[in-house]
Amino acid sequence: MQEKRNVKKLVAVGTFSAIAYLLMMLNFPLPMLPTFLLIDFSEIPALLAAIMFSPIAGVAVEAIKNLLHYFIQGSGTGIPIGQLANFLAGVSFILPAAYLFQKFRNSKGLTYGLALGTVIMTLMMSILNYYVILPAYTFFLNAPALSSQQARELIVTGILPFNMIKGITITIIFMMLFAKMKPWIQRQMAV
Amino acid sequence: MINSMIIGKYVPSDSIIHRMDPRAKLLLVFIYVFIVFLANNSVTYIVLTMFTLVLLFLSRIPIAFILRGLKPILWIVLVTFLLHMFMTKEGDLLYQWGRLAIYEGGIKQGIFISLRFLLFIMITTLLTLTTTPIEVTDGVESLLAPLKKLHVPVHELALMMSISLRFIPTLLEETEKIMKAQAARGVDFSGGSFSERVKAIVSLLVPLFINSFKRAEELATAMEARGYRGGEGRTKFRQLTWKPLDTFCLIAVFVLAMILFVLRS
Repeated sequence: MQEKRNVKKLVAVGTFSAIAYLLMMLNFPLPMLPTFLLIDFSEIPALLAAIMFSPIAGVAVEAIKNLLHYFIQGSGTGIPIGQLANFLAGVSFILPAAYLFQKFRNSKGLTYGLALGTVIMTLMMSILNYYVILPAYTFFLNAPALSSQQARELIVTGILPFNMIKGITITIIFMMLFAKMKPWIQRQMAV
Repeated sequence: MINSMIIGKYVPSDSIIHRMDPRAKLLLVFIYVFIVFLANNSVTYIVLTMFTLVLLFLSRIPIAFILRGLKPILWIVLVTFLLHMFMTKEGDLLYQWGRLAIYEGGIKQGIFISLRFLLFIMITTLLTLTTTPIEVTDGVESLLAPLKKLHVPVHELALMMSISLRFIPTLLEETEKIMKAQAARGVDFSGGSFSERVKAIVSLLVPLFINSFKRAEELATAMEARGYRGGEGRTKFRQLTWKPLDTFCLIAVFVLAMILFVLRS
């Protein structure tokens, strides 16, 4: 029986990753923000996998989604910086949510988890962009390096609000989705 | 938009590139990504472009397929080109119009960086056009096999990846079907207020998740019935065979790297 659950989990993570990849392709920029920041809903399948199976399953969905994106779409800079940034953002968003949900096992825990995830993702991405991601981009695109003042400005006016809006949007969609799918999710988890 | 993207669109043929071992092709692309950065003057870029064009020619893929793969990134290339053209202030001044000045170095830099983009996208497109996603996954699994010693679940990851590759077209079709079904019930996917949009997305996602989970259950049962028991001791239906051609191609890439290294300024 244990074996059976594992194979099912394995296959389900595969299909959820396929959905995540498709949702990732349906991305769009937000008004008023830089166009390289694209919002998509591919964190939703990862979140679902994280709360239905285990946090590791959610991380696997994030990883496979970005690997597929890199294999199929490639990366303009040659090295998958965008995919890596997306992976780190996704993981820092879903892990707190999954952790709090597993602790309380109700919608309230999930709401707090998603709110915490939004905060952690926003902080993580602001710090990582300042020290790692933005410098890496300017290096590989051979663009003039941003001064720390410029980088700070870009983070405060672009990356910070972007991740917050992304987190809040996904939280709203996921809460509505969870409300609809709650009986089904509980039934699947009980098996 | 979706149809213009090449989603694992393998073009069957019997060219040299098609017959190469996927591991050799993956290594080739991997090394190529680093080699691209070696090119920094006209000669090296010409050598690199020639090498890439020869590979494209050998693959016998109709040029239209390659161009279709390049289409989605064309505007990025254009923006990069313009950015470098106007931002680089080196060499002779060629043209001045108010505050916009174009220098010789700017045009050169613009062409180089855009070319780097195009070459890289071409080589990855070539990989996906001549290699089935299954072959790519088998290749990755085989190349990463040493990591099993560090308890990295390489087999499981490769299996999950091949499953999701297999399901991307199926789920895409299903998404379109669900969208039509929901549109017939009055859901508007193209506009509306924020809350209407969210509701529309939820009405699409719920059936999509439940259907894909059902498919996963069926597939898991089918795998169990056929005796799937993890990667340990599993024999393969598709065997990868390393041929002299593969060794030759890898040597060619190393030679290319050395040529670029000598010719770069």
